[in-house]
Amino acid sequence: MTWYLVRRIGQSVAVVIGVMILTFILVHLEPGSTAKAVLGLKATPARIALFDNTYGLNRPLPVQFWLYCDHVLHGNFGVSYTAGQPVSSLIAQRLPRDAVLLGASTLLALIIGVPMGLYQALHHGTVRDDVVAGTWFTLYSAPDFMEALLLIAIFSVHFHILQPNFPGGITSVGGLFGDLNAMVLPVVVLAINSVAGFSQYMRSSAIEELAQDYIRTARAKGVRQRVIFTRHLLRNAVLPIVTILGLSLPDIVAGAVIAEAIFNFPGMGLLFWQSALSHDFPVMLGATLIIGVATVLGNLVADVAYGILDPRIRHAAT
Amino acid sequence: MHRTHRLVAAAVAALALTTLAACGGGSVAKVGGGNSAPTGKPEKGGTVTLAEVGASPNDIFPLLPATNSNGYNGDLTLGSWPWLVYSGDGANSVPNPQESLYSSLKWSDGDKVITIVLKPWKWSDGTPITSRDFTFVYNLLKTNYNDWFDYVDGLFPVDVASVATPNASTVVINLTRSYNPQFYVDNVLATIPLLPQQAWDKTSSTGPVGDYDQTASGAKAVWNFLQAQGADMGTFATNPLWQVVDGPWKLSQFQSSGYYSWVPNTNYSGPDKPILSKVIWTPFTTDTAEMDTLRSNTTLDIAGVPLNDVRQIPALEAEGYSVAQVPNPGVAEILPNFYNPTAGPLLRLLYIRQAMEYLINRPQIVSKVFAGYADPGNGPVPVLYGQQFDSPLEKTGGPYQYSPTKAIALLKAHGWKVVPGGTDTCVRPGAAASDCGTGIKAGTPLTFQLLFGSGTASFDQQNAAFQSTESLGGVKITLKSEPFNTLVATTGTCNAQSHPAATCDDWQLEQYGYNEYLMDPSGAGEFNTDANGNYGGYSSPEMDKLIDATEYGSSSAAFFAYEDYAAEQLPLLWLPNASFVFVYKSNLAGVTPLNPFSGLLNPEVWYYTKSGS
Repeated sequence: MTWYLVRRIGQSVAVVIGVMILTFILVHLEPGSTAKAVLGLKATPARIALFDNTYGLNRPLPVQFWLYCDHVLHGNFGVSYTAGQPVSSLIAQRLPRDAVLLGASTLLALIIGVPMGLYQALHHGTVRDDVVAGTWFTLYSAPDFMEALLLIAIFSVHFHILQPNFPGGITSVGGLFGDLNAMVLPVVVLAINSVAGFSQYMRSSAIEELAQDYIRTARAKGVRQRVIFTRHLLRNAVLPIVTILGLSLPDIVAGAVIAEAIFNFPGMGLLFWQSALSHDFPVMLGATLIIGVATVLGNLVADVAYGILDPRIRHAAT
Repeated sequence: MHRTHRLVAAAVAALALTTLAACGGGSVAKVGGGNSAPTGKPEKGGTVTLAEVGASPNDIFPLLPATNSNGYNGDLTLGSWPWLVYSGDGANSVPNPQESLYSSLKWSDGDKVITIVLKPWKWSDGTPITSRDFTFVYNLLKTNYNDWFDYVDGLFPVDVASVATPNASTVVINLTRSYNPQFYVDNVLATIPLLPQQAWDKTSSTGPVGDYDQTASGAKAVWNFLQAQGADMGTFATNPLWQVVDGPWKLSQFQSSGYYSWVPNTNYSGPDKPILSKVIWTPFTTDTAEMDTLRSNTTLDIAGVPLNDVRQIPALEAEGYSVAQVPNPGVAEILPNFYNPTAGPLLRLLYIRQAMEYLINRPQIVSKVFAGYADPGNGPVPVLYGQQFDSPLEKTGGPYQYSPTKAIALLKAHGWKVVPGGTDTCVRPGAAASDCGTGIKAGTPLTFQLLFGSGTASFDQQNAAFQSTESLGGVKITLKSEPFNTLVATTGTCNAQSHPAATCDDWQLEQYGYNEYLMDPSGAGEFNTDANGNYGGYSSPEMDKLIDATEYGSSSAAFFAYEDYAAEQLPLLWLPNASFVFVYKSNLAGVTPLNPFSGLLNPEVWYYTKSGS
C-alpha cells in the first residue's frame, strides 16, 4: 500500500506541473494586449508600458514562467490585474464558502440519491423504478438556471418564504451559517443535478451486486434482508459512488458559475469566469492550479478509498 | 467609457430639494436645480440600501494609480472627497456652484489665468479647507501625473506654469496657454478633488505630517505611501487617513466583496447635511440576482433595472417602487475602420457612411431595443441632457434621419447597383462625383463585418436591427461577437501612422458601447487626428480646427460649429445610447431629478417620509 501511495503521489505531482506549464502557455496565447484589456481602449502607449512593467509582462515568456514558478513555490500566486488583490486572498475568500455550499449540496444529493438508487435496484423493472428514474432524469435534464429561476419565482417572489439569494455582505463561512434561509435554494438546485447521477450509479451497481453469488448465498443461509442490504450490498455497491465523490472534488473547488451568478454568491466559478473574460492571468493561473491540484487529489483520494474498500485493488497494486 | 458604473452607481444624483425644516435642523433647501417635491412628512434617520451589480471597489485614495481602471472606486470616494467643481446641477449639464468647493472662479489674462476663491468649509477634523490643500494635490500630481489614472495628455497638471496662493482661501493658476473657460472648468477642474494636506502629507503611518509634497522626492514618497494605503482594502474603514473628509459622508464599513456603508460626516460644511443615518452599498454578482431580490421585495431601497427587464417595472411598482431614468453621459456609435485594407476605401467615402446612417432606424432601436429609455443618437451630443450643447440640427433629429429611400438614391447616384435585401455592387468605378469613388473597383460588393462585444442582449438586438435595416439598402452586414475584453485587447488603433498593421486588418466596423463624456461633450480626444480615442483613423483638418476652437477658443458659436460638422461628417455612425433606469422605494424622497454626471448617488438629499422607512 505504501509503494502504491508513493507512486500515485508522484504521478499527481507530475500532473500538477504539467497543468502549470500548459495553463501558462495557453493563457499567454490569448490574442491581444493584456494591458489594453484591463485598462480599456483608450489606454495610451505610456500607460500600457507602465502596466506591462508593473506586472512583468514586458519580460520574455520563459522568464515570466520561471518567476511565476518561483513565486508559487513561495506561496505567492501574484496580484489580480483587475481586483488589485493577491490571488491567494481572492481564492482564500471564496474557496471555503464554495466548499460549504457545494459540500452541502453534494451531501444532500447523496442522502437522497443513494437510498433512491437502492430502492430502484430492489424494484428494478417495475413501474416504481421507472417513475423514480423518470422524475430524476427530468430534473437532471432541465438546465440548472431554469430550475433556479423557477424555484425563486415560487418560493421567493410569490410566497416570500425563502430568500432569493445571498445578501451581498456575506464574505465568510460563518456568514453563510448566519443566514441559512439564503442557503436553501442554491443547495437544493445544485443537489437536484447530482441526485440523478448518484441514484443511477447506485442503482446499476446494486443491481449488479444483487445478482452476485455472495448475495444469493447469504439469502440461502437465511441472513436477514436488512443485514444483506447494509452489510453486504451497500458496502460493495457504493464503490462507484466513492469514485464519483473523489472526482467531484475539483467541481467543488471550481465552483458553480451559474448558481453563483443567480444566487449572488461570488465563488470560485465566477472568479475564474470573470478572470478569463478580463485577461486576468494571475487569477486564471492561480485558479487553474488549485483546480488541477484538486483534480489529482480527488483522484488520489478515490483510488486510496477504493483500495481500502476493496482489498483486491490494494493487493493487485502491490 | 466602456466600463460603466452599473446600476445605481451610474449616475444618479438626487438633487431635489425642497425644504426640510421640520427635521431637526436639516436645511436641505437647495442642491441646485432640483424640483421634485417630496410627498409626505420628512423623517430624520433611516438606512438606505443600494444595489450595485458587479461592483468591487479596490482603492480608496481619490487619485487612482494609472494601472487601476476600476470605475467603481469613484463611487466609493466621491461622497467623501468631492471635486473642486461639482458636475451637474439637477439634470442640467452645468457646474453646480452650491455644491462646489469654490465660491468664485474668475478667468483673466486672455483666459490663461484662473483665480479660485475657496469657500470657508472645513475638513471633518475641524481644520479649514485652504489653498494649501489645492497645492498639495497639485504638487502630488506634478510629480506623479504619469501614474495618475485620470491624467489626460497635455492637460492638468502639465499645462500649469505655476500655482500661487496669495492667501489661505485663494488659488491662482497660471496656465501655459489659453483655454476655453467652459471646457477647462467642465472637463478639467471637475475632475480634481481637494485633499487634506494637514492629515495626508506624510510618508509613513507613524511618521509626522510635514510639507513633504513641496519637493519632488517628497511628493513621490507621499504618493507612494498614500497609494499603498489606498490599496489596502482591509483598512479602508479603519485607517485614520480616510476618516478625514470634506464630503457629506464617511466610510463606516467595508468588505472586499464590495459591500460598504457610509455614515454622515457630522462636520460637513456644505449645504446639504445628510438626513439618513446610514447608506449601505450592497453588491450583486449579476443583474438576475439583483432583479430577483427586487421582485422578492426584500432588502433593496434603490437599484438599477437592466434594460432586458424593463417590462418588469409595473410589477416592481406594484411592490412599492417608483421609476426614474438618467441619461448616460456619452455617445454610442459604430466605429468605422478607415484603414482596414478591404473596408477602409469604402468607409473613407462620406456618401457611403451617409447611406449607412440613413439606413439605421434609430427611433425603432430606441423603442424596441431600449423600451424608450435611450438617447436618440442624433449626432455627437446627446439631446436628452445636453441642453446648452445641443445645436438646432441635433435637436431636430440630426442630419441623417432614417430613410432607406434617401440611402438608395445616394448609392445609385454614386454608381452602385442597389439590391435591397441582397448586396450592392459598384457598376461605375471612377473618381468622378457620380462614380463609386477612388479605389473602388467595378463589382466591389458593399459588405462589412461588424464586430461587437458579446454578452449584452440589448447589443445583440440592436446589431441585428442594424443588420436588418442596412440590408434594405443592399448594404450587407455580417455580425461577429467576441467577449468584450478580448475585443478591447485586440482592437488596434488604425491610422495613417500605424497603417498597414496587422491590428487594422481584423476589424471593419466595431460596436463596443459608448464613449463617456464629461460635462462638456467636446470631441477632443475622440475625433481629432491622432486623438487617443480615434481608433478608426478618422482625420480631417477642418474637424481638428473646429475641435481646437472648442478647447482653446472663446467663441460661444464654436461648439455648435464643431457639433454640426461632426454630425454631418460621420467620424462614427451614430447610434442610440441607452439610459440607466432605476427604481427606488416610493417613500424615499429627493431621489429625482437625476444627475447624469455625479457618478454616484447623492443620498445626502434623500429622506424617508413618515409613511415608513
